Amino acid sequence: MSEAIRIEHLVRRFHDLVAVDDVSFDVHAGEVFGFLGPNGAGKSTTIRILTGFLPATSGRAEIFGHDVARDSLAARRLIGYLPENVPLPLDARVDEYLEFRARLKGVATRERGGRRDKVVAQCGLETMRRRILGQLSRGYRQRVGLADALIADPPLLVLDEPTGGLDPGQRQEVLDLVGRLKGERTVLFSSHVLAEVEQISSRVAIIQHGRLLAVGSKQELEEAEGRQGQVAVSAGPDSSALLAWLDGHGHLAEIAGEGVVHVRLPAEGRPAGLLAELVAAGLPVDRFEPLTRSLHEIFLELTRTPVPASAVAANGSSA
Amino acid sequence: MRTALPPLLWRELESLFFSPLAYIVLTIFLLLNGVSFGVALQVGNGAVTDTLAYFLGSGHLFWVVLLIWPTLVTMRLVAEERRSGTLEMVLTAPVRDGEVVLAKYLGAMVFQAFLWAPTLTYIVIIRRYGALPDPGQLFTAYLGIASVTSLLTAAGLLFSTLTDNQIVAAVLSLVFNVLAFALPASAPLLGLPWLEQVAAAISMQEHFVGSFSRGILDTGVLTFYAAGTAVLLIVSTRSLEARRWR
Repeated sequence: MSEAIRIEHLVRRFHDLVAVDDVSFDVHAGEVFGFLGPNGAGKSTTIRILTGFLPATSGRAEIFGHDVARDSLAARRLIGYLPENVPLPLDARVDEYLEFRARLKGVATRERGGRRDKVVAQCGLETMRRRILGQLSRGYRQRVGLADALIADPPLLVLDEPTGGLDPGQRQEVLDLVGRLKGERTVLFSSHVLAEVEQISSRVAIIQHGRLLAVGSKQELEEAEGRQGQVAVSAGPDSSALLAWLDGHGHLAEIAGEGVVHVRLPAEGRPAGLLAELVAAGLPVDRFEPLTRSLHEIFLELTRTPVPASAVAANGSSA
Repeated sequence: MRTALPPLLWRELESLFFSPLAYIVLTIFLLLNGVSFGVALQVGNGAVTDTLAYFLGSGHLFWVVLLIWPTLVTMRLVAEERRSGTLEMVLTAPVRDGEVVLAKYLGAMVFQAFLWAPTLTYIVIIRRYGALPDPGQLFTAYLGIASVTSLLTAAGLLFSTLTDNQIVAAVLSLVFNVLAFALPASAPLLGLPWLEQVAAAISMQEHFVGSFSRGILDTGVLTFYAAGTAVLLIVSTRSLEARRWR
């Protein structure tokens, strides 16, 4: 599969603060990729390196094979970028601004009108075209930023906290919009809100204190970080027979609720093996459920893990 | 090769001309120049050449305007975009840093040409009173204004790239302009002949006295301003790229 983004051992220091610390991951073409981490984790710094605004201290990053440092113009041509806080010139009108951005990004003259109409419709800005940017609400400014990111029809969208500062309704609109782009183009979007990432992205990277904690699909993360080897079992309202059997066969078990027992499988043990044994023993198994943790639990646990003092210092930077 | 210069320049002109500040600046500018012209008429006392030489060369107000204007026009150019974050929007689009600097320089120059243009009406006024100004002297005087403005605009632009605070940019730029004006003039005080020669060669005042105000085209002087502008624009571009070390 071709990679839309390839990041290898990326490091960015601001003086003695390490904002991005040896981060590596790939984003596959066509996927919606969630970049997850608490505020100040290094998400924006990583994104700014990808978009050519900041260079890396060391390591490298590629956009569709173009090195972001050595082949910056070619890389930037492939990216539609929505920075955090959506800085817009306050004196321009929506239509004028989108026209300017289309020209800046080299959209051909005869295509500009059509592209503008399309992104205005996509982002729900039809009634706002003549409005001055400085008079727009936060939600509409976010939409203008998105329309700008889309205007040159780039294969890759990089959205830094696209739902930041929006009310729940507006958040959902932005998420729906990004969701509709699925498949059409590759999307990297950052957020500190897990539910959003879970809702629309196929894979996620979790970053904290500049360090990458985990990368993968939701399922992969849950398998890798999940409560592997535990199964919730219930066999009728009374669990004493079940506990007795488990005890007799050397399984560690604890009562987790009325009639429910959590069983730890032996190392390398498969849940199916235990189920077969339980059934063979004639126990009336009416629930047998391998335990996993939600991405939410994984996220909380990973980002709560204590980190060395040096990395904590890095968190104070404007990452 | 595709260039993003036209849209960048257009955007610069829009933000320069479509702000109320532009017209406040223009009003003050015309006021100062009006006073300056009034003084020049008295100084010239009927002699058109002397009036012009004062109004467009040796008058105090002329120099005040010439030294302050580039600072006022350039101080916000990059500093303000850096502070508000719009610089990130521009620099992450597929544009070269040099194109951004050049667009800002050209925009500031066009705006200042617009500020100076009304002073041409004073020439019409002089003609109404029967005296005909020398076209060569007029041409070189405005060329001199353009040359000095170009150099100081490029310098102001450089200072604007160094900070996200436009007041800091303005102070740096103004200090530079005043020193560039005053230092060569004070060189004779040191009594070193070679230093005096160097000072005379780079003195903006001397350039007006010896060339621009007299209708004489000195290619050496013009080269000085062109090269100085080019160097400052290149350093500005490097400074913009240097965001990477901050």
